[in-house]
This record gives sequence, C-alpha cells and structure tokens, in this order.
Amino acid sequence: MNYRIVHRTDYHYAEPVDSGYNEARLLPRAVPRQLALSSSLSIDPPPSDYRERLDYFGNRVAGFSIDQPHHALSVTATSEVSIEPRSGRLDLFEGESWDASRERLMQSNDPESLLARDFALDSPLVAVQPGLASYAAGSFARGRSLLQSVHDLMERIHRDFRYDPEFTTLSTPLAQVLEHRRGVCQDFAHLAIGCIRSHGLAARYVSGYIETLPPPGKPRLVGADASHAWFSVFVPGSGWVDFDPTNNQVPETQHITVAWGRDYADVTPLKGIIFGGGMMTLKVSVDVLNLDTAVVAAPSDSAGAAAQP
Amino acid sequence: MSKDAHAEQAASPRPRPDPAGSRWYEPAAGLFDETRSDDGTVRPHWEYLARALQGLGTEELRRRRDEASRLLRENGVSYNVYDDPDGYNRVWDLDPIPLVIGSNEWAGIESGLIQRAELMDLILRDLYGPRELLRKGLLPPEMVFGHAGFLRPCDGVKLAGERQLILYSANLARGPDGNMWVLGDRTQAPSGAGYALENRMVITRILPSLFRDSRVHRVAVFFRALRQTLVSIAPRASREPRIVILTPGPRNETYFEHAYLASYLGYPLVQGDDLVVRNGRVWQRTLSDLQPVDVIIRRVDDDWCDPLELRAESRLGVTGLLECARRGTVSIANPLGSGLLENPALLAFLPAIARHFLGQPLRLSSVRTWWCGNPGDLQHVLANLEHLVIKPLSRAAGERSLPGPTLSRDELDRLRAQISASPRNWVGQEFAQFSATPTLSDDGGVEPRAAVLRTFLVARDADYAVMPGGLTRVAPSRGSPLVSNQYGGSSKDTWVLASEPEQQVTLWLQPAREQMTSGNRAPLSSRAADNLFWLGRYSERAEGTARLLRTILAKYDESLQYDDPEHAQCLHALLRSLTHFTATYPGFMAEDARLHQPDDELLAVACDAGRSGSLAQSLQALVHSAHAIRDFWSSDSWRVLDSIDTQLAALRTRGSVTIENLSEHLNQVVVALAAFNELTSERLMRDQAWRFLDMGRRIERSLLLASLTRSTVAVHTEPAVEALLLDAILSTGESILTYRQRYRSYLEVRTVLELMLLDSNNPRGMIHQLLRLQETLAGLPTDPGAAGGAELCERDRLALEAVTQLRLVSLDRLVQSGRGSVLREDLDQTMARITHLLTRMSEVITGQYFGHLRESQQLVQARIEVERGPR
Repeated sequence: MNYRIVHRTDYHYAEPVDSGYNEARLLPRAVPRQLALSSSLSIDPPPSDYRERLDYFGNRVAGFSIDQPHHALSVTATSEVSIEPRSGRLDLFEGESWDASRERLMQSNDPESLLARDFALDSPLVAVQPGLASYAAGSFARGRSLLQSVHDLMERIHRDFRYDPEFTTLSTPLAQVLEHRRGVCQDFAHLAIGCIRSHGLAARYVSGYIETLPPPGKPRLVGADASHAWFSVFVPGSGWVDFDPTNNQVPETQHITVAWGRDYADVTPLKGIIFGGGMMTLKVSVDVLNLDTAVVAAPSDSAGAAAQP
Repeated sequence: MSKDAHAEQAASPRPRPDPAGSRWYEPAAGLFDETRSDDGTVRPHWEYLARALQGLGTEELRRRRDEASRLLRENGVSYNVYDDPDGYNRVWDLDPIPLVIGSNEWAGIESGLIQRAELMDLILRDLYGPRELLRKGLLPPEMVFGHAGFLRPCDGVKLAGERQLILYSANLARGPDGNMWVLGDRTQAPSGAGYALENRMVITRILPSLFRDSRVHRVAVFFRALRQTLVSIAPRASREPRIVILTPGPRNETYFEHAYLASYLGYPLVQGDDLVVRNGRVWQRTLSDLQPVDVIIRRVDDDWCDPLELRAESRLGVTGLLECARRGTVSIANPLGSGLLENPALLAFLPAIARHFLGQPLRLSSVRTWWCGNPGDLQHVLANLEHLVIKPLSRAAGERSLPGPTLSRDELDRLRAQISASPRNWVGQEFAQFSATPTLSDDGGVEPRAAVLRTFLVARDADYAVMPGGLTRVAPSRGSPLVSNQYGGSSKDTWVLASEPEQQVTLWLQPAREQMTSGNRAPLSSRAADNLFWLGRYSERAEGTARLLRTILAKYDESLQYDDPEHAQCLHALLRSLTHFTATYPGFMAEDARLHQPDDELLAVACDAGRSGSLAQSLQALVHSAHAIRDFWSSDSWRVLDSIDTQLAALRTRGSVTIENLSEHLNQVVVALAAFNELTSERLMRDQAWRFLDMGRRIERSLLLASLTRSTVAVHTEPAVEALLLDAILSTGESILTYRQRYRSYLEVRTVLELMLLDSNNPRGMIHQLLRLQETLAGLPTDPGAAGGAELCERDRLALEAVTQLRLVSLDRLVQSGRGSVLREDLDQTMARITHLLTRMSEVITGQYFGHLRESQQLVQARIEVERGPR
C-alpha cells in the first residue's frame, strides 16, 4: 500500500512570540515493512535554525527555532510511504508462553533484548500499579502463549473501554482511565503497555496514522483523519509485534508508523518552548490519502467498518 | 619533669602515651580515632598540631573560633538550608581544628581517587556510547535504564576529545578497619571546592603560625588546573574562550559558592535567562549585545538544564542548550547526563568494571553496597534493614538516605513494604561507625565527632589533578552518625602534610586579582543591571521611610508632651502623609481611631515585612537584590550589607521592637543605609553597573520627594501646622542644616519648596536628581533596535520633560492655592506630572534593558485528537 500523509499543526498566539524552540517527531522512521519514499517539513515562519537527527530510539527528529517575533506557527509534514504486507501469517498460538518469554528476556544478552528491557520498566507516563496487574491477569494465564495473551488483552480493552474523546486530557492518569473505562487511542495504548509491563514484559508506544475508510456512501473527507497510537510487544527471539487496542486489530497495511518510544512523552509529535505568546489556540489536521485507491474519484462503498484513531 | 620538657617529649617522633593530651581531648571508646591509636599514642602526623592546640588551650581555641565566625559572617559565607525560614543564608560553620592526613596515606588516597575518576569517565563514555557494560553483563540494564540520571536525549552527545568527566568528587570516610572508604560519588555539578578554599583562607588567618609550621599542601594548585582544563575544552581554538558559571540562583543551597568561585576564577556568574541560544550557539546577553559563550561550568542539575529536551517545566536552564552541546558549539562541565554516575548501586559493580576496563582492582574500596534488583541482594537487605543505610536508586528532591539504626519499627515496616514493591529502585549500604576527629563543641570542650571528607578532582592532560585535602564535614554532635550540611553539621579545613617543605605557591592570589578586574570589565549582564537598578530604588525607599518614621516619632513624642490640638493636628497630617508616602493603604486614611492610637500601625509600617511598602519589606527587597548579584560586592560592601541584614532581622524579631525603642532601631537602619550608599557611590567604578544603581536611586528619590510634597503641603493648613510639616519634609529629605544655613529664618513653604525642588545646589533636592539622571541616561548603551538620527529616544524625552516641568514653575504660583480652594493646584499638578514621567521612565528602562527576562511557556500539544473532523 502507498500513502501520502499531510499532517498540519497550527498555533495562534494572542500576544507576539519573541522566539520559539521546537522539536518535531513528524517524519516517518525506518520500519521493517514500511519504506518512507519521501518526507518533508514545511514551517511558517521560516526557522532561523533547522537540523534533523535521529533520537535515542531511532526516531527522526527535526529541531528548529524561530527568532523573529511571530503571532502564529504552522508546521506541515508531508510524507509518502509504502507498506508491504506481512510475509507470513502471524500465528498467535505458536511460540513460547509469556512466562517463559519473561525468563528468556531477563536471561538473554543479545543487544536487542538488552535494549528491550528498557521497555519493561516504568516510564514517564506509564507506571506499574496494582490495578493494571490485576486487570491484565485475566489475559495472562500461566503457560498461555505470549502473543495469544496480548491479543486477548487487546480484545478485552476494546470490549471493556469506551472510546470517549471528551473524557481524558493529556494529563489524565492511567488509574482514572482504568477506573472509568474510557479514553482514546493514546490512553488505550498506555493502558496495554502498563498491563504488559506489570507482567515483567517489554512493550512500547507507537505513534503514527491509520487509514480511515469513510462510512459507506460518504465521500472521504480531507483532514478527517487524526494522529493515531497503538503499542508493540517484544517477543524475545523474534522481535516486536504491533497491536491496536482502539480498533481491535493487528496492524497489517493500514497503520503508518512515525515514531516509537516508552510512552507518548518520548514521541510527542511537536513540542516546544516559546517566549511570549500569552494564550494560544491549536489546530491539528491529518490527511491520509491512499495513493493506490485515490484515482477512483467516487468513494468506494466497500465494506469494512471505519477505523477509530 | 618540667612542663616544657614534657611538651618536648610529646613532640619527639616516637609515639608515646600523652597524659597531658588526654586532658585536652578524650577519644570516643570503640571508635577509630584520627589522632590516636588504640594504645593511646598520638599518631605521628597529628603530633605537632595536637601539641600546639593543647598549648593554646580551649579558651584560646574558642576565641579563634569566634574570630573565624566573624570572618565568615563578614565575608558573607553562607549555606542555604531548604524548608527552613531562617535557613536562607545560614552562616557557614567552620571548626577551628583541621583534619590532618599524613603525606604517605594521602599518596595512596590520591592515586585511588585518580583511578576511580578514570573509571567513572570510562563508564560515562560507555553508557552514552557503545554500552558494552550491558552487553558484557557487567551492569544490569534495569540498573542503568531505571536510574533517573540516565538521560536518553544525552545519548551520543560528547565533548570533543576523549575525556568526558571533567569534574569529579568522592565522599570519603574512614571505616572501622582504618582504611578510607568511598561512600558516594558526585559527578553532575560537585559542590564544595569553594567552601574548602574559603575554609583554608580563614584558617590561615586564625592559626597563621600553626599553618605555616605544619607544611600543609596548598589547595590553590587545584584551581590552577581547573582553569587550564576549562580553557582546553573550549570548542573554538581561542586563546580567550568565554567561560561562565551557570547557577540556579540565590535560593540554591550553595549559591554563595557559585558567586565566590565566579569572582575567584574571574568568570561571569549567570543564570539560565542570562544565556540564550541563537543559530546553534550559546550567547550571553549583555546590555548592549550578545557575547558568544564557549564553556559553561554548570551548577544546575542535569535535567533542569534544557526545558526543550529535558525537564520541560524548568526555569533554571537554557532552552536549546543540549542541541548546542550535541553540535559541539559549547562545552559543558560536567556534560549533561553525567548524573548517571551518582547511582549508588554502581558501587556494587565497580570492582568487576575496574577489572574489565583497567585490568586492576580498585585502590580505594567503596562502602559495601547491595542493589535490591538482584534477588540475593534484596534478601540480604530485607533481612538486615535495621543495620543498613537505605538509599533510593535515584535521588529525588527531598529524599535522603535512611539509616536503619535510627528508624522506628513502623518506619522499618513501611520501608520494607516500599522496597518489596519495587526492589529495583532501592539500594542498601553498610552502616559503619566512621572514625572520629577532635571538634570544638558548643559548650567549649573538644569532643570526638564522625567526619566525612569530600575530595575534588579535575581532568588534566593525561589524568586528573586532585585537590590536596578537600572539604571535611563533621556530625552535628558527638555520637551522631549523620554528616550533612542540610542536617546542620560543621566543616573543617583539611591539612595534607607535605613530606618536604613546600614552596610558597601564592600564585593564586595574583592571577585572581587580574582575573577579577578583567571580570569587571566584562559587559554587564541584563539581570545584574536589573538587580542594581532595584537595589538603588529600594535603598532610597528604605532610607526615606526610615527618616519619615523617625520624624513622626519625634512629633508623636511632642504631641504627647504638649497635648494640644495644634500638635495633634500636625501629627495626624504627618501620619496620613506616611500612608501616602509608603502606599500602605488604607493605613491612617482609614479611620480616625487609628490617628489617636497610632502605635500598632506605626510598628506595622516599620516591621511587618509581609506588608507591601513597609520599611522591613523595602529592606528585604534590598537584601534580595544584593544577594542576586553576590559576585559584585567587595568584602567591605558585604560587611555593610550584612549590617543592613542584621538591622532587618532585629526589626522582624517579634516583640523586640516597641514604640519606645523604634527610634533607636530607625537610627541604626539609617546609619547602615548611609554607609551602604556612601560605599557604593564612592567605591563603585563609574561604569554601567554604577549607572543602573544610580538611576534607581535618583528616580526613587524624586518620586519620594514628589509624594512627600503632595501629601504635606499641596493643601493649605494653618501656619503652625504647616511649619511642622515643612520641618518633616526637610528632615526626611536630609536638608535641615542646609536650610538653616541658607535661610536663617522660620520655615516657609516658599523657601522650603525652593530648596527641595528647585535649587540645583542642594544635593538632596529634586532638580539635582533629575539633572543627574539626565547625565546618567546619556551614558547608557543605546538601544540596538532604535533608529539612529536626531530624534530623542523615549527615556531621554521623559527626562527632558521632567527637568523642564520643574524649571518652568514659578514659586509664586507654586505656593498659591486656587480661588476658593485650599489646594495648591500648580504644585499638586507639577508633582503629579513628574511622578507620571518618572514611573514611565522606569518602565521604559525595564523594557529596554531587562525586558527579555520574560516568562517562557511550553508549546502544549493538548492531546493528539484535537480538532477532530467528523467521523
């Protein structure tokens, strides 16, 4: 599958900003089945300083600063990526039990496993707490395969939690999400990560986009899509496997990965420090265009529920 | 045997029992004693000092200690204690008896410290680089990744050159086995070297001959090496790299030291907002422009240094600093991320790492340490909790190590539960009885107290330079195991004896002087200018308030004496003018009852620092501004500032100030302020710094005079009352004598106004202030953004208008009141206009020179689903 993604962020300030310093994690990183064909960042006002690098997790970071007074900041990332289907079927029932995997993770000293152990520890937004362990216990029966356990966890989160953009804010603690059983993709990803870590396993946060299909009979709307987030679990010996608890799916070719880290704090799409500015308003729009189907002017009314970001 | 002969015998190189010494100092039973062996013989390296101190006698020793306290107090040597209202600026405590270390033992300690610093450097390079220690199984990943000091954004960021760890400190204490153990490592921004230096300066003054005859290694060599190293790590090849010391500010516990080292080394002392990142470089803001910065010695903790990539809520750092380090345009000592090495669990793994990296065993052993992330260690720690010191893996603010033996059963149970819940986050260490060393106690005796020595190293070409000695800290009391300044212990000078007479290396004095003058020539930072300006304003305001209060108290006395309506009326007018003058509304404007019972309100206006406009509040603001630019003051000015601080403390002591003794307090405040004004106006060079202080003074003085004039004589009163009010103007304005000399007449509104407003020969008069202000403004750096040309800039226009307003008044019109009114309209309006012009001028100056010191905010990404389209 080939996609073009346009992700635009606009800040408007009530008072002039004298100078601003920013970091954007908006350019898709290298991922095994995903090839970034092109990607670029357009910034207005033009930055006085701009530099790209890779961060600790291998994500692409663009650091830039603006040192002239401005009232608005607009950052648009445009990327084209190509995603290959998985070469084989993912067999959930095969593979080691989760408890054996945990032992293997702690014993192994290959570089990938050693670094993965970072993702089994608490992180800024995800701290292990008793509630998480007991919720997760229902999925992690002794001897059950790791992937089957995680798949079950994903299904339960999808079933037990309501998608509710009104409920949570960025600072809503995980305990509240757990208590009220509501949240958005970011909360569900954090929740799953916490559950998995509470069992001594490694899980990471993935930020990116999902191709959302329009409801039957409705045209596809530009900007209707949004940033998305899901999680990935480490299977010692074979690597990372993604799960999307918001849509109850194992990502195949509709998920476009931008960055990953221990949690949202490691991969914030755009962050910064500004001097001045006063009150500000923010507007974000994301447009995911499937280049393979885009030639069809009329929206297909093919089946398939609209995915939730 | 004569007394002298006995002393000679004790001084002989052969150790012998020393009965005379035992009267002077009795070692603690069962503890290793620094001065004496178990058999009671004095250790050879202590012989000279022990005999000499014994010769001095404790009486004399106490006298010397008092002398030391006086010196420290006068030099403003302080250590701030958090969470303690009186802890701000607690005077540094120095015990007069040094800790002595023999030359042989020191040689061993020194080589052990160098080895350890090199090892720490290798670990730092590895963990932010190849992470071989994890792959080889020498460090568990959880111990590294789970430590708050492992900063992922710092991964791969390196100083040019091999060496990464520039400064290193280790805390040492002597264990029961008689060997020095390392208790912990300090690798972010080690503090204490400045205090060690100050301790040495004081000790050489209170024990000059003892010091001279003891052949003590000099500590100055360390600072020379530090200077050379800082130059060598500068990114640009430059003979004169710009080096600054980054401090979190006056509230920091060791702020004194930051300022002290800044003036000693000759580097500007800066706070985060004095620096700015532009085009991938760090610059220092000065009044006129931006100056590139090459090297930063930082005293700000790792994660507070850059709100963009590290802790976003930090206001202490420099936005974009880490990226500059990444690009190699600035060198930071120590590099950001080095706090990783302060992980106490590391101590358990060091021997194996030393064998791996160096192929050698550790020369200095560490205190025994167990990391609870290892199941075996966890078991040991839980089983022996009450015999161990428990530390959190990451030292969060306010968290201290917990000595098991001092904890109650409940506390132990809670701790046990905490450790079991997250074992990886805890470390247990052996709780040892450390050696004791003689210390002068508060009651005047000499007693054994536990001591910890903080040592200091700085990287140089091939290895590390070690400060001979270091900062010794002793427990707050006999038998207390706790040694920490936050707990209130004392400190000592540390004498490392030279095996041969050492050359007098006084070179540090000379270069320091040179450096200090070159430091003064450096452009003034905006923050310093801001503080100087307000210092000027507050010192005037405090002085004016104190003088007016004093005048009022005198009139109050008279009114009680005479008890007639005229005196009462005059007093009331003065009380109301006090409220206007200090803006302590409602004050005496509120109700008449207060006018008849003014005691409480008068005391509040003098002593209540929580009351805006009070004398105490102005003094407090003055002291704060002065502290914020600690590096500006000579020891003379500091002594005067200290006396202001003392007066403030006296005013604020609840119950000690009464209406009867208030006058006396006010006299002392006025004297202290006059001394400060004198000193700063006489001694400060006529440079930018002086200009800002002077402008603050002139503006405030004019504003006060305008307010005083309006609130006293802008309204006609009876001649007798008016005379008393005029007297108050003159005495508050310090012009009574001048008036008498000039006019030799009774007080008249016309002549008083002439003298106080229009006479340019009166140095306390208003026109004099405005003319001087105009001159000073002319010497300021021009606004880089302003268009050149013939047009006056706003501040000059304001000054010109104020001068002109005053020049154009006619005395006849000034004293005249309007038809059918008691208001002297011309006077009132002229004063109002001048007040407006000067207030505006203060704003313009603030905006132009200090305006960039504005608040930053995080660019919030409220959440990732913001502004969703229809679904």
